[in-house]
Amino acid sequence: MSALPHSKKRVCYYYDSDIGNYYYGQGHPMKPHRIRMTHNLLLNYGLYRKMEIYRPHKATADEMTKFHSDDYVRFLRSIRPDNMSEYNKQMQRFNVGEDCPVFDGLYEFCQLSSGGSVAAAVKLNKQASEICINWGGGLHHAKKSEASGFCYVNDIVLGILELLKYHQRVLYIDIDVHHGDGVEEAFYTTDRVMTVSFHKYGEYFPGTGDLRDIGAGKGKYYAVNIPLRDGMDDESYESIFVPIISKVMETFQPSAVVLQCGADSLTGDRLGCFNLTVRGHGKCVEFVKKYGLPFLMVGGGGYTIRNVSRCWTYETSVALGTEIANELPYNDYFEYFGPDFKLHISPSNMANQNTPEYLEKIKTRLFENLRMLPHAPGVQAQAIPEDAVNDSEDDEDKANPDERLTQAALDKRIAPDNEYSDSEDEGEGGRRDQRSFKGRKRPRLDKLDTKQEKQDVDDKVKLEDATKMDTKGESEKDDKTGITEDMKKDSGLNA
Amino acid sequence: MVLAERNSDNVRNGRRSRGPSPNGHASDSSSEEEGEKIRVGRDYQAVVPELIPLSERRPDQCGERALLVWSPTAEIPDYKLDEYISLAKEKYGYNGEQALGMLFWHKHDLERAILDLANFTPFPDEWTVEDKVLFEQAFQFHGKSFHRIRQMLPDKSIASLVKYYYSWKKTRSRTSLMDRQARKLAVHREEGSEVGSELGSNTDSDSDEKKWTIHRGIRRKSGSPPRTTQNSDESGSQKDGAEGGKSSCANCGVACTHTHTSPKGSMCNTCYQHWRRTGSVRPTTGPVKRDRHCHVLLRHKRKPPRGMYINHDDLVAMAAGPPAPAPASQGDQMLKAMDREIVSLKRQVQNNKQSLSSFKRKTAEGIDDLRPPDANNRINARWTNDELLLAVQGVRKYGKDFRAIAEVIGTKTEAHLRSFFVNYRRRYNLDAVLKEFEVENGPIVDNDDKEEKMETDGVSSGSEASTPTPGASSPVPVAPGSPPLIKQPFPKTAVGTGLAAK
Repeated sequence: MSALPHSKKRVCYYYDSDIGNYYYGQGHPMKPHRIRMTHNLLLNYGLYRKMEIYRPHKATADEMTKFHSDDYVRFLRSIRPDNMSEYNKQMQRFNVGEDCPVFDGLYEFCQLSSGGSVAAAVKLNKQASEICINWGGGLHHAKKSEASGFCYVNDIVLGILELLKYHQRVLYIDIDVHHGDGVEEAFYTTDRVMTVSFHKYGEYFPGTGDLRDIGAGKGKYYAVNIPLRDGMDDESYESIFVPIISKVMETFQPSAVVLQCGADSLTGDRLGCFNLTVRGHGKCVEFVKKYGLPFLMVGGGGYTIRNVSRCWTYETSVALGTEIANELPYNDYFEYFGPDFKLHISPSNMANQNTPEYLEKIKTRLFENLRMLPHAPGVQAQAIPEDAVNDSEDDEDKANPDERLTQAALDKRIAPDNEYSDSEDEGEGGRRDQRSFKGRKRPRLDKLDTKQEKQDVDDKVKLEDATKMDTKGESEKDDKTGITEDMKKDSGLNA
Repeated sequence: MVLAERNSDNVRNGRRSRGPSPNGHASDSSSEEEGEKIRVGRDYQAVVPELIPLSERRPDQCGERALLVWSPTAEIPDYKLDEYISLAKEKYGYNGEQALGMLFWHKHDLERAILDLANFTPFPDEWTVEDKVLFEQAFQFHGKSFHRIRQMLPDKSIASLVKYYYSWKKTRSRTSLMDRQARKLAVHREEGSEVGSELGSNTDSDSDEKKWTIHRGIRRKSGSPPRTTQNSDESGSQKDGAEGGKSSCANCGVACTHTHTSPKGSMCNTCYQHWRRTGSVRPTTGPVKRDRHCHVLLRHKRKPPRGMYINHDDLVAMAAGPPAPAPASQGDQMLKAMDREIVSLKRQVQNNKQSLSSFKRKTAEGIDDLRPPDANNRINARWTNDELLLAVQGVRKYGKDFRAIAEVIGTKTEAHLRSFFVNYRRRYNLDAVLKEFEVENGPIVDNDDKEEKMETDGVSSGSEASTPTPGASSPVPVAPGSPPLIKQPFPKTAVGTGLAAK
């Protein structure tokens, strides 16, 4: 190993040859076969031989309950397609059956996927590797006692929990087109994990990931959400990814990074609505890799499977620091990649609804939040600057209304344009997306100059938002944690 | 299935529903509301473990929790590894992963691994022909419901079915020629029968799932023996006049290498034997019920899809061989060997493409560093001996692509090269050089040629109707009446683009 050049990283890759054989069901977009396709491409590109290849053990129920609740794991272990009828009630409770169907070998699939991520985390802890890859992992929607969005067991959370034994601070970055809600929720109240998720927001699964969701309790400001609109292209993505991650690295100073490389943010995805190419997607990997921290890469979404395997193959090559040819080598699934048989894909001509102004606005807003972070958390000497920061928080709240107002006015002027393009591209979904954005923004306006907006639509929106706030308030009362005060103040400020 | 419908709905909206069974739209939105936020509480957050202090860490004591199956080595160069893998693949039927696994087992000792290759045989393909046919039939009935397919193939696990499905799926595109042909047939059949129309509509919908039903008729070839041996009660009245060349059967029209002469014309072995035994001409259609369409079918039978040649003797060879259940009948072996050959050729093709593109990328970076370090690389009209030598060699290599030659020499322009060509044509016998070039690269189809001739033959002659263009250096002369510029000598494009990008 010493013979390898210094610039090359030692990469460990986790894969089980059975993983491609699990099948979610007819018509289901999630296809574990894509992992096998990726694997086969890696093999034929000659990247396989440059990595340490591991076959992960199957994660035990014990390991899963490090995060998940006992009865949920017990349920996953016992349910099968042929005994489903006995579990009706539990299936409802654990949200299994619709998006997350019961399929043959479900539990084993979860075991392999999370086994890979846990083993990878252990490897990083041992400092026996710089980069670990588990394309079978990345199932970021799974909750503590609930399946969600094709995910049953949250291998990422399990991996991060393992990393936390040896690392004071772990950074989680999520470039799936969907919000990484499972991971965010799991670490919502801790300051040892920062979750950063770039995702489509507005009438889109899973519905979470608002710009203003920033964490709670000790974890306040340790959840970072970048809500985006349809049509993100390489350039815009880089323009927001690079500054935000740089800032996060600078302020949070993690000692390990987990990157969820969901490939449904690629152009032409069956479920996604972004316009990234393999290169643009891979740039994120490249950028994170540059920091040279212990680095865990996991898979995630991705529903146009030929592009998923292209993407993850390319990203493996990026991790290895090896250039690979654009012409795909012959492989077991060569015919899937026709008609061009190339590695890289071109973006579509879809409209990018993320204007530079919009992205700029998000960026400024997030920078403000990141400024709230004490430098390198857990270090005592930072106590005094923290006070100063709190002061500025107040200032900012005074200053912000003006700024937001102008921005809102600006938005109002832009709105018709967007609406046109919405109806062209997406039909209903797009328009709803637009509305829900307004719905979230307007109420702030209402507070400032209530009487100006008299349109029916806005009233409806106001109503909706009011109910939303109510439920929020209620659930806060339910939680008997000490953070209630904090949260209330927070929501008050925001809404 | 309700589930499937729901899924497709969600997929279209680009979102996945959340919460248990939101049925109507109203309830949908309400469940969304409640699901739209991150929940806080003991039931939702992970319990974060304590950081283990440095002094208490025992990294060597926590297990790997994974099995190492390959680790990279710097000792074996890439090409050797490639050789080893292709040996394992082609001679012993390993796959790349297994080959590397073997090498790793022997601690990267290449020689020992090679010796050991023969001692293990990778799992044989446990899918027999019968299994495959059954699978296709089951798939036709049940689509991708693998648990239903499994009822027809009880000895296979779902995993095995899924795996086979994915590798089988891609081969369907290989029969695309067949598809087209079958579709044509289906259209004809459609005219007369409901069955046909059903098939036809399936083709139109072009759905992944149903597409393959069309070539059922042809597909059988892969499984059971070809139709030619089937007997039907129809008489041999459909016999058409022989149309093919000498090496095709007068009866069934199939091409073959060996023919037997008979009073009915020269026939392929099968037809000949049939005639000898029965005295009647072998019927050439299968059990087709609708007589009306027989002729249509017949005609199509005569002409296999474009690019496909049916040789009777091959068919016989395929059909012959041990009738026993032996999975390795002669025909199968032949097909397998050919398949392997195709795959290895395809692999080569892709490899060649890869190296081509990498060379292209290299030339795109420019050839500057390959040029001799020239002190006077300014453009100069005076020809040095070296330059003259280069120019002649250039003509030998690039023909009359003066721009390419100029790029290579570096100190001359295209115009210089043109005048060089005219001035030194005799002295260096450039015509002979050009001929050499043409022998290798084909004739030069270039307008320059004509123009050149006009110029050298004397402008005054004006034998052509067109007026000669003044100034030999005009880049693309337009001579009316001459064929448009279709072909450029290859190196021009290669070098030309390379330097343009510089």
